[in-house]
Amino acid sequence: MARHPDDDLVPYLRGELPPAERERVARHLEECPDCKEDTEVLRDLLGNVAHAIGQPPAVNWARYRAELREKLDARRARTVWWRRPMPLTLSASLAGILLLVGVWGGHEISRNGEPIGPDEVVMGQELGLLQDLRTVERLDLLEDLEVLRNLDGLASEHQG
Amino acid sequence: MEPADEALSERVARRDEAAFELLVSRYQERAYRLAWSILRNADDARDVSQEAFIRLYEMAGSFRGRSKFSTWFYRILVNLCLDHKRKHKWWRLWVRDDDEERSETILDRQPAAVDDPVDKLSRQETMKALGSAIDRLAPRQRAAVLLRVQEDMATYDIARVLKCSEATVRVHLHRALATLKKTVEKR
Repeated sequence: MARHPDDDLVPYLRGELPPAERERVARHLEECPDCKEDTEVLRDLLGNVAHAIGQPPAVNWARYRAELREKLDARRARTVWWRRPMPLTLSASLAGILLLVGVWGGHEISRNGEPIGPDEVVMGQELGLLQDLRTVERLDLLEDLEVLRNLDGLASEHQG
Repeated sequence: MEPADEALSERVARRDEAAFELLVSRYQERAYRLAWSILRNADDARDVSQEAFIRLYEMAGSFRGRSKFSTWFYRILVNLCLDHKRKHKWWRLWVRDDDEERSETILDRQPAAVDDPVDKLSRQETMKALGSAIDRLAPRQRAAVLLRVQEDMATYDIARVLKCSEATVRVHLHRALATLKKTVEKR
């Protein structure tokens, strides 16, 4: 005799086995009185389980739904507060504060920046070439070795 | 014609409050009863089933319609129940759960099918023992039995709710019923 189809008995009782499996279980039950008896016991048991579980205490459904609504509203308020559009005044105030902090911070950075050494100041004043923006804009000339060699001469020509 | 659950769920995904209310009305009793059957505590069952509806509202957009809406929703609910049981496992040992005394079985509320008072008493005791044995089942076995008996779910759907194979569900059901059978046979 084939193995006992223990795990298949509940699906068999509910009629959800595919035809071939159903046929196999049915044939087995005809030949195996133990499994046939088990099937009957299971059928009764499944019926009794529903009775044995009983019914839960009664619920006021209107109150249940009202509570659910409150919980849902609370959850939405908690999870999306940062996504909500801010009132215009609050947004403007925050933008103003950020702007002030930015301006003040920039000023502080420039004040505390690396001080310019006195020799750099003198060099900047003495190099007339660097004071001329048009010349600075044509810095590609500095790539020309000939121009570099005669740089002082060119500067004086330009000033003359 | 009443709109199908799946259509309502699509509307909930678009934040249609009326559709959500309708789904809650349709499922509130079944959700609460199933949660109570697993948790055996009315307050917990109310809280957990309400949480399931909140998750439904939040996650309706992720329902793709590959399974029935009821299967998808029960998966949320049963997972919440099993999580709740896991978290409160030790707490329950110390707090007396008196819901069992407050609740009444269908047999308590209906006239007995037999006239003999001895038979009636014996049957009531058997049902009580069976109820206790169901409470002692492993959580997933119990969930499988309850989905089968209370919700009349097919093995395929139970497998989807419990996120396991159909073969595993069959084993859960077989083991659970074998345990319950022993309880009945002892009496």
